Amino acid sequence: MSILKKIIRWARIKSPWIIHFNTGACNACDIEIVAALTPRYDLERFGVIIKGTPRHADVLVCSGPVTLQTQDRLLRIYEQMPEPKFVVAVGTCACSGGVFQGCYSVRAGIDSILPVSVFIPGCPASPKAIIDGVVKLLDSLEDKPKKEMAPVLPKKELAQGNAT
Amino acid sequence: MTEEQIKQQIEHQFGYLKDAVVIKRARRLWLDVPMDKFEEVFVYLTEAMPLVRLLTITGMDEGTTFGIIYHLAAESGIILNLRIHIPRENPAIQSMTSKFSCADIYEREIKDLLGIQVLGLPEGRRYPLTDNWPDGEYPLRKDWKGLSTEKKGGTLNAQ
Amino acid sequence: MPNKIRKLPDSGDVQVPIGPQHPSLKEPESFLLTLRGEKITAASVRLGYNHRGIEKACEERTYIQDLYLIERVCGICSHAHLTCFVQAVEEIAAIEVPKRAQYIRVVVGELERIHSHLLWLGVAGHEIGFDTLLMYSWRDREIVMDILADLAGNRVHYGVTTYGGVKRDITPEQIKDVLKAVDTLEERTKYYIELAKNEETIIKRLSGVGMLKHDDALRLGAVGPTARAGGVDRDTRRDDPYAAYPEMKFKVVIDDHADVYGRTLVRMGELMEAYSIIRQALTNMPEGVFRVRAPRRIPAGEATGRYEAPRGEDVHYVKSNGSDKPERVKIRAPTLANIQAVTHMLEDRYLADMPIVVAAIDPCFSCTDRLIGIKDLRTDKKQTLDWDNLRLSGIKWYQKRGVDFSRLNEKLKRSFK
Repeated sequence: MSILKKIIRWARIKSPWIIHFNTGACNACDIEIVAALTPRYDLERFGVIIKGTPRHADVLVCSGPVTLQTQDRLLRIYEQMPEPKFVVAVGTCACSGGVFQGCYSVRAGIDSILPVSVFIPGCPASPKAIIDGVVKLLDSLEDKPKKEMAPVLPKKELAQGNAT
Repeated sequence: MTEEQIKQQIEHQFGYLKDAVVIKRARRLWLDVPMDKFEEVFVYLTEAMPLVRLLTITGMDEGTTFGIIYHLAAESGIILNLRIHIPRENPAIQSMTSKFSCADIYEREIKDLLGIQVLGLPEGRRYPLTDNWPDGEYPLRKDWKGLSTEKKGGTLNAQ
Repeated sequence: MPNKIRKLPDSGDVQVPIGPQHPSLKEPESFLLTLRGEKITAASVRLGYNHRGIEKACEERTYIQDLYLIERVCGICSHAHLTCFVQAVEEIAAIEVPKRAQYIRVVVGELERIHSHLLWLGVAGHEIGFDTLLMYSWRDREIVMDILADLAGNRVHYGVTTYGGVKRDITPEQIKDVLKAVDTLEERTKYYIELAKNEETIIKRLSGVGMLKHDDALRLGAVGPTARAGGVDRDTRRDDPYAAYPEMKFKVVIDDHADVYGRTLVRMGELMEAYSIIRQALTNMPEGVFRVRAPRRIPAGEATGRYEAPRGEDVHYVKSNGSDKPERVKIRAPTLANIQAVTHMLEDRYLADMPIVVAAIDPCFSCTDRLIGIKDLRTDKKQTLDWDNLRLSGIKWYQKRGVDFSRLNEKLKRSFK
């Protein structure tokens, strides 16, 4: 990769700018997103700033089940963001519709409209989970080898083929 | 005024409402009136009696009729729930925005979700459904089963 | 020539749509402001973005499932909505709630009021450009979130109330922790009250903004701190008491400034009252069970419940038909009553005041829709651009200058399901 491309990628990983949009949520996830920026959790130490306009942003942080009224606006905002862009779905409602699955005015999760990079479940997703999700997104941009997930059962029991 | 006093005065004023006011518990009164007498009872309650606040207007589907409940409150904390029943064919009610400007949004909600015509409602945007919601679909009616998936798509997806 | 500057005559109002995505308003809502220069001459609000069809969904779910759905009407006042709904159902089923449960409901309700008012203080500081206040007050709010997570298991959506009482008891150690936290918070709140009373910039920025006088508040049906700042003496906890409030001694905080500054003072006063109520409830906590059994099928009947949420008076109407699903649930959130006052408050003010005026009613919902109407003043021709036409005209403008976005559209089309 050329030096210029490396620098650009470093800038994106070290300082992602986010835009936040609420597609009809109950506001709990939005408050936890704002709480993630306050002194106790402090997302800004990762270089994250909330910007007001999609044209300056790298990451779209979305909460809420997509209501029929907001789906066009959501697409509009996504189109206005410059490439490359990522979408983070915060909260169970954004992942799959959550409590509002089956309601007439709600379209299931955000991945019914946009390609989502990170799903952060939780009702609401706590600020710790949001930070974890953002860090995972940044890690995936670097070419780090994936960490091996620790098995749930100890290796001995796995080898014996699951205890009873 | 206490609940008992309110009940006595209403039943005294309107002969056809004898024993019609029900006191279910402290600070809760319930009253059903026939549709043609609604206007005069409403005006009496809100002007001559201390029930000066309109909290909200609830509409519901009762099968053969629609029930509309006007929740009126006094400053002392008493709520009187005033209900009328309107027929299911060509349902229509009079707008109360001339007396309570806050009734505007509650009546729009009933119009959108139940399909009840509100006569005299001032011009304005609809609430709460989208502007491109198909006509004739009234979600709060008991026989409404949901929109089909094609109708749910936004304008961009239609291209 | 595409770059010719067109001179428009002096008269001509500009219509600025604001929302649903706006840097300062955390919820989607849209306002259409008509401006002459910087002054707003007319404002109209379009609501409905947050409409999720909850009332219909309640009818299709059982009472137990509705507990979780009603809580999620709003993330900030979830306990308010839940307790109001449960109170209405308990009235229909004639369930006698034990005293200890009523006291615990009051404690959690006041803790919610504290967290909501501190949240509002931070948001208001952010709207006027005082980000330090946002950081300070939300840091203090974390103390309340820790306490709630300790009492109920979750920072938001505590789910403490259930039919017949509360879901879990409160231990003596937890009572000690809550009292200690309340002491810390009271110290910090005194600092904020000093700040609000003595800091020149705050007083100047918030005074005279968003005026809603006593008579207008009554006429437009405003509730909560928005109305109390105009001198309207109305509080559901005193007028239509519920839970353990008949046994609590507290003051209803009223101010007569009738502007955003008055609303700030009212909310600070309510914080101090909340600390006093929590102390009373915890020191006088009665012994006994914290829950009684409630039937799965609620007998036929109807009830109207009211609750003083942090934003104002919340009204729930429930009708049951003897089955295990409600017949009709109607929710009137406090912000719905206040939003009509907002358009009145915005008129004749400046554009820069718009975020703080809207934030001052502490809105808890949003919605918007947009339509742009353009009138060419020279030729008097009117044109209405809706979303699609606006988009197409933008694409055509770029294509005339040699820029083509069709490749981007292909990529988007491929990523749609």
